[in-house]
Amino acid sequence: MSDFSEELIRSKTEDDQEESCVFSGTGMSFPWLQKYIGTVATGGKKEKDFAQTTNACLSFIQEALLKHRWQKAAEFMHSYFQILEDSDSHKRQAAPEISLQHALYLLHHGMLEDANRNLSHAETWRYGEKSSSQEVLINLIQAYKGLLQYYTWSKKKMELSTLDEDDYAYNTASQNMLNHSWKTSVNLCALIQTPGVWDPFVKSYVEMLEFYGDQDGAREVLTNYAYDEKFPSNPNAHIYLYNFLKREKAPREKLISVLKILYQIVPSHKLMLEFHRLLRKSEKEDHHKLGLEVLFGVLDFAGCTKNITAWKYLGKYLRQTLVGNHLAWVQEEWNSRKNWWPSFHFSSFWAKSDWKEDKALACEKALVAGILLGKGCRYFRFISKQDDQVLRKKIKRIKKSVKKHSIVNPGL
Amino acid sequence: MDFPSSLRPTLFVTGPLGLSNVPDMSFMCSWRDALTLPESLPENSKNEAPPLATGLLWEPETPGPLPLLPPGPDPWDPGVTAQDLLFRGAFPFRRKPQAVLDVTEQLSRFLWDHGDIAFAPLGKLMLENFKLEGARSRSKKKTVVSVKSLLQDLGGHQPWGCPWAFLSYRQRRFSIVGGPVLGKSVASLLGELLHEELAMRWEQLLLDDAFTGGALAWVPGGTPQVGQLVYPAGGALDTLCFQEVSLPPGGDPQALGDPGHIQLRGPVRQVVTRTVQGESLLAVRSDYHCALWKVSKQGRAAPLQVLQVGKGATGISLSPHLPGELAVCSRSGAVCLWTPQDGLQQVYKDPETLVFCDPSPWRWADFTAHPRVLTVGDRTGVKIIDTQGPPGCGLLLFRGGAEAACRQGERVLLSQYLGECGAEPRLPTLQLICTQFSLYLVDERLPLVPMLKWDHDLPSAPLWAQLLPPPCPGYPQPLLLGGQGGHLQLLHLAGEGASAPRLAGPPQSLPSSSDSLSAFPLLEPKSQWRLQERLKAPTIGLAATIPSSASKPVLSLFQLSAAGDVFHQHLHLQADPGPHSRAPAASWTPQATACCSRWLKALLDVPPTPPVWAAPTFSHRRLLGCMEQRKVEQKGPEGLRAAMAAGRLLRQKDLGSLPSAGPPPAPEPGPEDELSARLEAAWEGRMAAWWERQQGRSSGPGRQPKRRKRRTQLSSTFSSLSGRLDLSDATSPPHSPDRASPEARPRPPVTPPSQELTQELWARGVPSERQQTLRDYMARLPLQEDTPRGVCSPLSGTSSSRATPSRPQTLQDGTAELPPGRNTRRGAAVSSSQTSRQQVLRKKPRMGF
Repeated sequence: MSDFSEELIRSKTEDDQEESCVFSGTGMSFPWLQKYIGTVATGGKKEKDFAQTTNACLSFIQEALLKHRWQKAAEFMHSYFQILEDSDSHKRQAAPEISLQHALYLLHHGMLEDANRNLSHAETWRYGEKSSSQEVLINLIQAYKGLLQYYTWSKKKMELSTLDEDDYAYNTASQNMLNHSWKTSVNLCALIQTPGVWDPFVKSYVEMLEFYGDQDGAREVLTNYAYDEKFPSNPNAHIYLYNFLKREKAPREKLISVLKILYQIVPSHKLMLEFHRLLRKSEKEDHHKLGLEVLFGVLDFAGCTKNITAWKYLGKYLRQTLVGNHLAWVQEEWNSRKNWWPSFHFSSFWAKSDWKEDKALACEKALVAGILLGKGCRYFRFISKQDDQVLRKKIKRIKKSVKKHSIVNPGL
Repeated sequence: MDFPSSLRPTLFVTGPLGLSNVPDMSFMCSWRDALTLPESLPENSKNEAPPLATGLLWEPETPGPLPLLPPGPDPWDPGVTAQDLLFRGAFPFRRKPQAVLDVTEQLSRFLWDHGDIAFAPLGKLMLENFKLEGARSRSKKKTVVSVKSLLQDLGGHQPWGCPWAFLSYRQRRFSIVGGPVLGKSVASLLGELLHEELAMRWEQLLLDDAFTGGALAWVPGGTPQVGQLVYPAGGALDTLCFQEVSLPPGGDPQALGDPGHIQLRGPVRQVVTRTVQGESLLAVRSDYHCALWKVSKQGRAAPLQVLQVGKGATGISLSPHLPGELAVCSRSGAVCLWTPQDGLQQVYKDPETLVFCDPSPWRWADFTAHPRVLTVGDRTGVKIIDTQGPPGCGLLLFRGGAEAACRQGERVLLSQYLGECGAEPRLPTLQLICTQFSLYLVDERLPLVPMLKWDHDLPSAPLWAQLLPPPCPGYPQPLLLGGQGGHLQLLHLAGEGASAPRLAGPPQSLPSSSDSLSAFPLLEPKSQWRLQERLKAPTIGLAATIPSSASKPVLSLFQLSAAGDVFHQHLHLQADPGPHSRAPAASWTPQATACCSRWLKALLDVPPTPPVWAAPTFSHRRLLGCMEQRKVEQKGPEGLRAAMAAGRLLRQKDLGSLPSAGPPPAPEPGPEDELSARLEAAWEGRMAAWWERQQGRSSGPGRQPKRRKRRTQLSSTFSSLSGRLDLSDATSPPHSPDRASPEARPRPPVTPPSQELTQELWARGVPSERQQTLRDYMARLPLQEDTPRGVCSPLSGTSSSRATPSRPQTLQDGTAELPPGRNTRRGAAVSSSQTSRQQVLRKKPRMGF
């Protein structure tokens, strides 16, 4: 019978860090179980008195903070600082993390100099053997230092832009900037090789590289950031690369290949409309087909249903595709959507509410609805019945288009 | 849609937690961090930063929530608590205090208290080898033993517990042959069942995930000030109620009229409501059924369809995109799309968990920004699946592992789509994932890397979350997080379009219903305890709304407890209270306390539930009855007696005009007033002397002490604590057989009517022709008077104060059949569900739960 109890609840005996978690047989930990045990258990090792006090203090702080009793929390916090007396080596090792947290706070609140000082402290902190875990942390600290240097550099760049190139001051300033950029690149380089999301670091690093004309370096950094498989699939990595290539005036083919990947990750992104335009202008037929797919893809998403540009593009492009005798493309896209788009986009509820809120949107949608569902569809019927002075001509045009292009009964 | 132009820096480590030696950097994606790069710093940052980022406070109007509806007519009992199952002993070998379920104790309690259940099946098995009636050896079978002779041998002897007792050869043989069978089979059989049952109970105590998602919903009405609360009521939670509620601006919510009812055939676990394209739908999940209603503009619900889920449903969600589309998940690991028109479409099935092996069958599904893409979650992670794609494929959105910097033992408790809020969703791609430690916001477009992580540190399991629309344009959206223990946290979620989601302002904890205790008048201890217990009842649902028309934003919050109570609280938005201001302490208004008093009165009018476990009380009624004849004149003792007879609190006026100060009353006892004498002796600490005196006096033949009887409810078995027999616990080993022998054995026919019943029970299952014989045997059984007093029976000294159950009527209820699964909603609910009969059959034979 005692085996049963053993099996049911295992206590983590070695790990002193997670005193508050007791595990059940499933491996799940229940932070609230400690409370139950506290009311029952009489035997066993008591926590160190000091640890008990600090834990109690911590919970007081927590409660005061959550109730927005700042004064009280500060008082408790003052007592809690005694924890620095703790001889526990684990907590000492966490010191750089704490410094980093503080530095981040300062950074986010614009206290850049204090943040820099703090980061320098954290950087030089050593306790015990330098582990790989600490190495990553040091890299991160250095990257943040690099970011601070970038801030200074950026300020100098602004100053520089106001100066005359022949000025003596210009030379010193640019020299200054060079120094900064060199230091910064050293600081940033190491971190952005490590898998992670480093958007601000990459952005600033690339800006500096670009400023000094190192286009290849910048491209390499961005390509790595976007295509390294160890990194998470960060849409921003592809967006940065695309924007860089666009600045570089890269060929359309290249841009399309970058956006193709973005399309696979985020088919709802606003760049997809730009992607559609690129595809539309392309000479390749499969690009034209993809262009249609991209538009349908954008409008699948709940956040894009009122995107009038997308609807406008779709109406126009549907007509163009059908005129170009590619009914199969449209049908292919429509087949997977015909059982839910009608109620998702073209219900009578939306007809009424779109007409009330945005008549232009309603007209664009009505055209698409008419082409895809025929003139019997509720959305199209509702809009075409409306009598509006301004839009009368437009609605008439839509009716004509629908009659001509609707994919329902294309023979007629 | 826009994607945040710059994400927070995060280290990305793949794989399970603990294998890589990497620091925990989750603080980097905690709240408030919004790094602005210099390119946008000089010009944009001032405009971008929301003006109210620092000081946001929803100030509660009262220190705690108030009851909205009168308490239901059914009594409520908290049932088994963790303390009932945990072991109290000391563990010298262990380095730390830890939870140990006390199985041995529970089992031995059961064997003693419910011997008939424990041993009767075995007795039935052995029936053909035992002969209960007739002459000695008419049977030719040698394998049949006559019970008569066995009992004759036993006659007069109480060998149990006494190593020197005389044993006949027949008895020896019987105990040697029968002993192992009797002892082992019962213990192992019961032990196994008990093991299973206790483990299930314990799991449920640690985490009761049946109510994940919450069983309370708010259906907005025609005007912003009116709406309907939909919630289950009744002891079994099988009545779905529709209560119309008005939210007058500046006033407390008012329940309008009586709620409408729909009687269901199972307990309601989850109620979901959503208005899609102007059509309000209401979905309800029970254990084995899901149902869908359409709510008309007038607030009337029309049933659409009912779905049976054979393996048990664990979650239901309504699509925010397409009216009438639902996602249902079952314990088998299947996820189905369900529409009333097209029926069911299984979109995913995997009996295994996503990331690593976890035994929990809990599954969850919700919608995403794409109407054809669902999230599927279990305890280990969350996956996004395309319902139109090939089966089995998908993308892991959240992993319980290193990617999200999870802790060891961390599990997903809730996963919810946050993009559904309002007509123009501000966060259309965000998914909320809650674990027992933290809250994660994950963007569908960036799987595995949480956009935001916040350690909520709620002291109970967070099973409810609700994102509300911004109270005013430009304000962050309130995100409510509710724990099973009634703990509430309010977070302010900001960031849309090109900025990453973040928490604007410090999170806030809101009062829970146990904070309302101070609004109630002080009560006598018993009622106070009842009230406290009621207020502490676990929360099973949460609903909130911000009526849009109010000039000053008000958040109305409703909370449903397991006891069926709906509490509400009102919060006002304090815009920018400044960094040094502290939350003003709200106080109770006279209306609030009046409301609480009314509610309390109704609560106390409900007869309390028969307790699952009762401490022994000693009947004084018989004793008082004898004394009634003696006509004691004094007012004090008479009042005392009346109070005790009625079982109520002794008040000052019962004792007549007594000096208000000074020593406690010591009324002059009459020479025959035994009770007063005893009380007096006890008061002065001379109880022992009085007792001895009494012993000598009462040993005469005319005053044969009546046999002590003790009955317990069947259902009290497993929660009974060692405190039950506190009279003797200190001096005797916990379970000497003598102590339980009086009721473990049958009684002679000359017994009061209440004992007849026990005997009938004993005789049940025995062929009628044998019953008379059986009665005869019983008559011959040794009576308690024969036991040598003071030697074996430690309770014999209590002969003058008979122990009887506190509520005699439970005897009939309790012993008339197998324990009816206790009076908790679960048990009752299960039996009320016709279609879940199978489960009932499976559960019932288990020993008395």
